[in-house]
Amino acid sequence: MNHTMELVIGAIFINNILLAKFLGNCPFLGVSKKMETAVGMAGAVVFVLTLAGMITWLVEHYLLAPFGIEYIRTMAFILIIATLVQFVELFLRKSIPALYQALGIFLPLITTNCAVLGVAIINIQEGYDLFDAIVFSAASAAGFGLALVLFAGIRERFETIRVPKQIEGTGIGLVTAGLLALSFFAFKGMI
Amino acid sequence: MSASRLVKEFSKGLWREIPPFRLVLGLCPALAVTTTAENGLGMGISATFVLVCSNGLISLLRKVIPNEVRVACYIVIIATFVVCVEMITKAYFFELSESLGLFIPLIVVNCIILGRAEAFAKKNGVLLSRADGLGMGLGFTLALTGLGAIREFFGAGTLGLVFGEQVFFDQPFAFLQQAPGAFVALGLLLGLMNLVGGSRGR
Amino acid sequence: MGISALVMLGIGLGAAAILAVAARVFYVKVDPRITATEDALPGANCGGCGYAGCASCAEAIVAGKAPVDACIAGGPEVAIQVAAIMGTEIGVAEPRTANHFCTGGDRAERKFHYEGALDCRALFDLHGGDLRCKVGCFGLATCVRACPFDAIVMGPEGYPEVSAEKCTGCGTCERVCPTKVIQVFKLSDRLMHFNNDHECLPPCRQLCPAQIDIPSYIDLATKGQYAEAVDVIKERNPLPLICGRVCPAPCEAGCRRVAIGDEPVHHNYIKRFVADWEMHHPQAPPVISPETGKTVAVIGGGPCGLSAAYYLRRLGHRPVIFDAKPALGGMARYGIPEYRLPKKTLDFEIDEILDLGVEVRCNQQMGRDFTIADLESEFDATLLAMGAWDNSSLRCEGEDLDGVWKGTEFLQKRELGIKVDLSGKRVVVVGGGNTAMDACRSSLRMGAGEVTLLYRRTRKEMPANQVEIDAAEHEGVKYHLLAAPKRLIGDEKGKLTQIEYIKMELGEPDASGRRRPVAIEGSNTLMDVDVVIAAIGQRPLKDWYTKDLEERGLKLTRWNTIEADEKTLQSDVPHIFTAGDLWSGPALLIDAIGTGRRVARSIQRFLLGLDLGFPEGTFVGPQKLAVSNLVPVLGVGPRVRVSQPELQVADRIKNFEEVDLVVSPESMRDEALRCMRCGTLCYFNDEQRDAHLSGRPLRKKVGELLQNSPTLR
Repeated sequence: MNHTMELVIGAIFINNILLAKFLGNCPFLGVSKKMETAVGMAGAVVFVLTLAGMITWLVEHYLLAPFGIEYIRTMAFILIIATLVQFVELFLRKSIPALYQALGIFLPLITTNCAVLGVAIINIQEGYDLFDAIVFSAASAAGFGLALVLFAGIRERFETIRVPKQIEGTGIGLVTAGLLALSFFAFKGMI
Repeated sequence: MSASRLVKEFSKGLWREIPPFRLVLGLCPALAVTTTAENGLGMGISATFVLVCSNGLISLLRKVIPNEVRVACYIVIIATFVVCVEMITKAYFFELSESLGLFIPLIVVNCIILGRAEAFAKKNGVLLSRADGLGMGLGFTLALTGLGAIREFFGAGTLGLVFGEQVFFDQPFAFLQQAPGAFVALGLLLGLMNLVGGSRGR
Repeated sequence: MGISALVMLGIGLGAAAILAVAARVFYVKVDPRITATEDALPGANCGGCGYAGCASCAEAIVAGKAPVDACIAGGPEVAIQVAAIMGTEIGVAEPRTANHFCTGGDRAERKFHYEGALDCRALFDLHGGDLRCKVGCFGLATCVRACPFDAIVMGPEGYPEVSAEKCTGCGTCERVCPTKVIQVFKLSDRLMHFNNDHECLPPCRQLCPAQIDIPSYIDLATKGQYAEAVDVIKERNPLPLICGRVCPAPCEAGCRRVAIGDEPVHHNYIKRFVADWEMHHPQAPPVISPETGKTVAVIGGGPCGLSAAYYLRRLGHRPVIFDAKPALGGMARYGIPEYRLPKKTLDFEIDEILDLGVEVRCNQQMGRDFTIADLESEFDATLLAMGAWDNSSLRCEGEDLDGVWKGTEFLQKRELGIKVDLSGKRVVVVGGGNTAMDACRSSLRMGAGEVTLLYRRTRKEMPANQVEIDAAEHEGVKYHLLAAPKRLIGDEKGKLTQIEYIKMELGEPDASGRRRPVAIEGSNTLMDVDVVIAAIGQRPLKDWYTKDLEERGLKLTRWNTIEADEKTLQSDVPHIFTAGDLWSGPALLIDAIGTGRRVARSIQRFLLGLDLGFPEGTFVGPQKLAVSNLVPVLGVGPRVRVSQPELQVADRIKNFEEVDLVVSPESMRDEALRCMRCGTLCYFNDEQRDAHLSGRPLRKKVGELLQNSPTLR
């Protein structure tokens, strides 16, 4: 149990995939301009990332490893993730239209979100078992969501401050992300 | 196909639309691997290779690939070249492959590559697409190497790519080597680019 | 290698199979038009359409929730593309642009509350509901920074200035502006705007029946921007040349100068100057909204009909004016004599309106030359604005004698080319209104030996313009006040020889607030006379009111005016509207112009199938003043009113030359600088009143600002 706690806290606070591992930065800067979209994106990522973490682990251990063809992992995983995202989109649209309305428009963005592929590969590289892989995936996604929502909250305030024209937009966004990352350093002592 | 058009498509990636500054794409590797100039260069070259190859192939197949499944096809094509790069770096540049680690496979989802496929290779001929890919790739390499050099020089006091083991500072500004430093450095560099190149066009 | 290829292929096939099955199982029909529309949209995701990005806008368009030209940033090409996808056609949409209303002051109120906020919204959040002025611009340029098209810059006076060329009307500025000073609307919205109680309205603007933005045009006139000043006037009144000459200026009654014991600003002086300037410096015609293809019949080419036709045309409709007389102008042509309003000037003003593309059919009388059925077959809506031409009777014996004339009939004779020789004759004019004054002064110019005005109350109660009353007296008209005609006496040939009148005294005030005249019994007096002109009031004629109109449900009141909705001016027949004197009974020219614009709005909304009602808080006509508007302003002293130059009396009564002369730019500017810029300059009314009531001194900076204001120095 202790190990699981460590995994969760580590993934959310200490090695936050956005701020410490630099995964998923494109949507981070893209959809963080409004709190509403940030929350939608965070929800979609938690959902897809957990599913993808589980399925890719299964594929790795029951398909690639037995044949000894781990080197095509990248290709296999991305194909699976793309399929998964597409499938989720189709499924949600039909079965849970309300959820689709809230999260659906972010799903295409997730295919190219390196956080998903990145976490899937980390799961394998770190040698997690299935349970750990799922926990780690979900925790990483939660960390992503946390950082995204926090950042959106800060960024909404940008609208009301004067920023030098040259670093308006992405520039000041990156600097702020740096400061946010710095504040996450404070969690280092937790474990 | 005039040569000037070729030069134009090639050169735009070097300054006018240089990623990740002007074209804000491919931020993850730009932030993650630029602790040293060497890593930046390695990452840049790998991405360039994939970009040139995938742009060429996608352009070649652009009339064959059905529109509905084009993104999936592009990803598979890109993934194929990424696997090649993965194997090559593991075989010949083991140290680099260790330090770049996760980010080599992640070239697959680098938005620049898919972005160029969607925005350019899908509509243009093979030669033009390759020129575009090469230009964008070189621009990306340049940017990553530059950012890496800055972070390495000020953050670790070395510049391994040029001066080998020589150490310039005893107490470097280590913040730049850390994750937050990456964000801040890239942000400020972006501002500097805008300052030099005039304000960004909307 | 073989295995890996096989596995890859397996995964690929598996994925494809899963997706294929999923696509069937979870099939949801997606309208291909959504995809096509999304492709056609520019993808800027600017949000100007009001939807969260282009994808949702595309969905809304296909669902019919948004119009095909919903996309703001894409312009007409995109709209045409989208229309093609949707299988409809559109005309080119009217562009929307951002505008801001606040031209006011230094808004010191807020600047001196400075607490480090650099953004209007931050400032608004800081002070919340504590703000004193609801409409003031904070001047912190949030809109400038928000504009995605760099179309807004901060002007030299610290207000945003919108570049019409760059503005796409995306509405971003409107969304970020916390006080809604900057707003996005179409030109037609601006033309059809009516005063609203949430606006910062100066007293003159509240009192003007046409709601002209008086301080704005005065401000532009002081800056030498005469063409812009005329534009401001014409947004509310298309006849500034006429009004600048004959309007009795009810607006002046509210002038804040009066509150400090000074004379009001001479609005007409300024209006006439800029309008005359424009007449001699022709400007490009105003912008016309895209054609709507709708036609409107405007019956009656007087000030009201002209005003309505002008605005209907600018809104993109096709008005056609019918007039029973040979030329347009109505009472302005046939009721106002040449010496007050030269016909050349009138013609210029009318031609300017007709040049916009308004068709005219003269010598066409309703009920005689055409019927309502004819109009219904040709036009989408009809406006009845024939005015009030019937003269009230004197209600005394002998009215049909030779030599007893009616006011308006007498006045229009000259314009209709009927020679009238009054040389040496004794003329008595009965009445105290402007028609009576015009009759007196015209009679003098036609050579009358002696002109006497008979009025049953005193000079104070006369409804005519003060300047007219004075001018008539200067020219030698004798005033016989507190006297009413009793009997008209003629000789055996039926020719008028004498008038018997009775003396009156003032009793209790009546419903109109004027003291009622009461006859003094036994005070009957006889007076020798050759001509009596009755000008005691008018009412609409009834000859046009034919049976078919009655059958359609159009109702008349007992004053012969049409019964219609008080605000929208729509009659009981939905496609028939009315305005001007035919609706209100005899009133001022400026009233007719104001109702003309109001009815144009109703017709416009009727033609487009919109609700005719006004937004809450709208004032359709002149309104009562809020007392706080008339609080005296500190630091402002009286300043001499510039007088109107005019012809010498001896010269002017010989002919019909225009009496009032053109004014010089310098004296016009002097007069314009007397304007205290109410509503455009912040006087901190509440601040002043608080200080006054509590005995505290004004905050130093507010006091200084008032002292240093350029207009008040």
